[in-house]
Amino acid sequence: MADTPEEIKKAQKKYLLIGLILFVFTVVTVSVATVPWLDFGEHGFDARDATIGLVIATIKAGLVGAIFMHLSHEKKTIYVLIVIGILMGIFLMGLTGWVFGDPTEYGNSVEGDGFYNPEVMAEQH
Amino acid sequence: MEIPHTVTPRKDNGLFNAKVGIWLFLASEVMLFGGLFSAYVFMRIYADYPWPERALPIVPGLINTFVLIGSSVTVVFAWASLKMRQWRRFQIFMAITIACAGIFMVLKAIEYKAKWDHQAVRVDDFTIVEGHVHYATILSNGKVEHFHTKKEAQEAGEKDAETANKVAEEKVTTAAKEKDEEFDGLGKADLWKAGKPFKANVVLFKPETIDFSLVRAHESWVNAMLEQAEKRKSRLVTARDLFIYGDIEDYSGTESEPMSSKARAEQEAQLVKKFAMADEKKDRKFGQNSLFIPAGTLLSYTLLEEARKVFVAGRAHNAATRTTILKENWKKVKEKWPGDKYWEQASEARIDAATQLDEQVDEAGNCSAGSKVVSLVSTLSFKMDPPQPLIIKRSWIKRPVKEQDGKAELRDDTSLNAGEGEDAAPGLLESPLALSVDAIDFRWVAQKAEEAGNDPMEMIEQSWIFSKANKNGSTYRKIWKVHKKRIGQLEQRLIDKYGKDEEGKPRRVATETDRYRVTWQDFVHYARAEHDALMPGDSGFDDLRPKFWNGFAGPNHKDEEIHKLHAFPELEIPHHKVSMQSMFTPKWNTYYAIYFTLTGLHGLHVVGGAIVLSYYLFFSKGLYRRNPEWLANRVEVGGLFWHFVDLVWIFLFPILYLM
Repeated sequence: MADTPEEIKKAQKKYLLIGLILFVFTVVTVSVATVPWLDFGEHGFDARDATIGLVIATIKAGLVGAIFMHLSHEKKTIYVLIVIGILMGIFLMGLTGWVFGDPTEYGNSVEGDGFYNPEVMAEQH
Repeated sequence: MEIPHTVTPRKDNGLFNAKVGIWLFLASEVMLFGGLFSAYVFMRIYADYPWPERALPIVPGLINTFVLIGSSVTVVFAWASLKMRQWRRFQIFMAITIACAGIFMVLKAIEYKAKWDHQAVRVDDFTIVEGHVHYATILSNGKVEHFHTKKEAQEAGEKDAETANKVAEEKVTTAAKEKDEEFDGLGKADLWKAGKPFKANVVLFKPETIDFSLVRAHESWVNAMLEQAEKRKSRLVTARDLFIYGDIEDYSGTESEPMSSKARAEQEAQLVKKFAMADEKKDRKFGQNSLFIPAGTLLSYTLLEEARKVFVAGRAHNAATRTTILKENWKKVKEKWPGDKYWEQASEARIDAATQLDEQVDEAGNCSAGSKVVSLVSTLSFKMDPPQPLIIKRSWIKRPVKEQDGKAELRDDTSLNAGEGEDAAPGLLESPLALSVDAIDFRWVAQKAEEAGNDPMEMIEQSWIFSKANKNGSTYRKIWKVHKKRIGQLEQRLIDKYGKDEEGKPRRVATETDRYRVTWQDFVHYARAEHDALMPGDSGFDDLRPKFWNGFAGPNHKDEEIHKLHAFPELEIPHHKVSMQSMFTPKWNTYYAIYFTLTGLHGLHVVGGAIVLSYYLFFSKGLYRRNPEWLANRVEVGGLFWHFVDLVWIFLFPILYLM
């Protein structure tokens, strides 16, 4: 980690460069979404555009984390904290996903879709 | 006492205290935002309506991204300056960071305001109409007029009030002259005051009578109606003398001295006489828990409350009486069949309090003399004198009101009733939702059509907005014709460029949004083309299209060119065609709910971060002199939080604005 005044003086150039890269990436993201000839995949917004947007965002977030938040050379304790945080975050997302993947059976599902179907319900009564 | 490890690192993990603290906090923040992002993902995947894709104006979001990235750089420079012991430089960079936070919040506020001012309507055939809702004002003659802007409505209201007061004054002056009396102007109470302009997305009702449920009447709604009646120089009063009883002794005397119907009528007549002696007509208590409400009593929530107390007491009494009768019944049953279990007696026994109570009630529903139960009054009816329009919010109404009903029921069981006869109040007034349209979305119509196995285009063209029932229908039919032609050309261009596959299907087609959503850019585009007499396919047609950076926070209804071209045409949607209406607020749909949750929470982080950074800037000179390294550590921790705020935005921007 840049800690001495000399090292910090040197690191400043790096910070500026990262800032510039972040600006450029932002422009790229917006261009992919707005300029017709930069439209990847199908015409208009689709999964490929979403992937490109999210990959660029992840790279940007990685740069902010690694350089601005000094995560590229941090102490072990910090990494442990972050990994636990991220894993818990993913676990929470998984819980929501689990709920959607395991809907309550109403006993009136259409071809076993497992969802509540008011029309079928009405027919049964 | 000196706190250890504010500057020197701990031996076990090599970190100073605050850094462990901030990272613990950031880890919890990762989980918080992670949860919300997953909410967004699942809401989008499982949305049962067409998701608003790329619905937000990109420019303010883009500027905010630049601003936050810039501030992330400056905050790290501020920290570096402290490390190098350059106080002045630290001040400059920190000040820039805080200014960036300010710019971010201002842009956010502009964006939020645009959402709050923008009307969305779902027509009952699932067409979504967006636009700028018109304003209305109620004039002194009880008529409702619509205007494009709040200012116009305000001015018209004031002008009307001025004229009305002039006419009234002249009338009174002439009358006074005829009688040779002196007259020095109308009193303050007699003057007509211009009403506040209101958004034309409400239902207007001119009731003859209003019935309030004593148990459920909603205080703020009652007061809102009262206030409106007062403003429009009308009164809500009871139409007839009414006695309500909560106490059996007031009603039918004591057991030793039962009161006959005749005796009760005499007592009531005496009470009327007694209360008529007083100057002021108001609610009167008598007996233990009963109330006399003379005809002409003004509505107030207190009166409803008083009457409710009487009703509740009466209801409790009747319930207790019923229980007593049941108990006596069971006692008799047990005496008749001793030793049996109750279920063995059930088929034989007569355990029926209701019939026995009914026997005490005559055909007209009045309880007979010597009755054990009191007649209950659960609603109070008030006459509106003279009938004046009342503004009723759509959300108050229980179910959509139809013109022929002449009656509206509110969710608190209040009923607004039309009168009978030619001169009576009509009840429901024609109150269309009027707006200048800047977008129409047929994607939901198409989705419903596809679900039912119909042709989307056919269903769209059968929708109300293009029908003859819509008096502005021809305008929209014309726009749709141009739109269809433009999309046809787009599809052709895609085929020319990317060709067709083996099955002869085009490799690329126009999106659902292209096809079924007429955006504000489309409206402006087609209006410009019409002005220049161009059609899709003509050279120069495509150049007329607004760019994504036009319209800073969305469609600008005040724009001179748009105004001149009349690019955003009017539409009046009859209120019974409106299934739902809302501003672009969390109420409108789950997209705006999650948008406001995510950006609102992020905005709070920006404000919180800016406060902490401001503290470093303005209140830390002393610490800098005493222990500059400690301050540098503090700034590093504040900076880490600031970077995290930037990091969240890095994801929010593409997810909400570009996808």
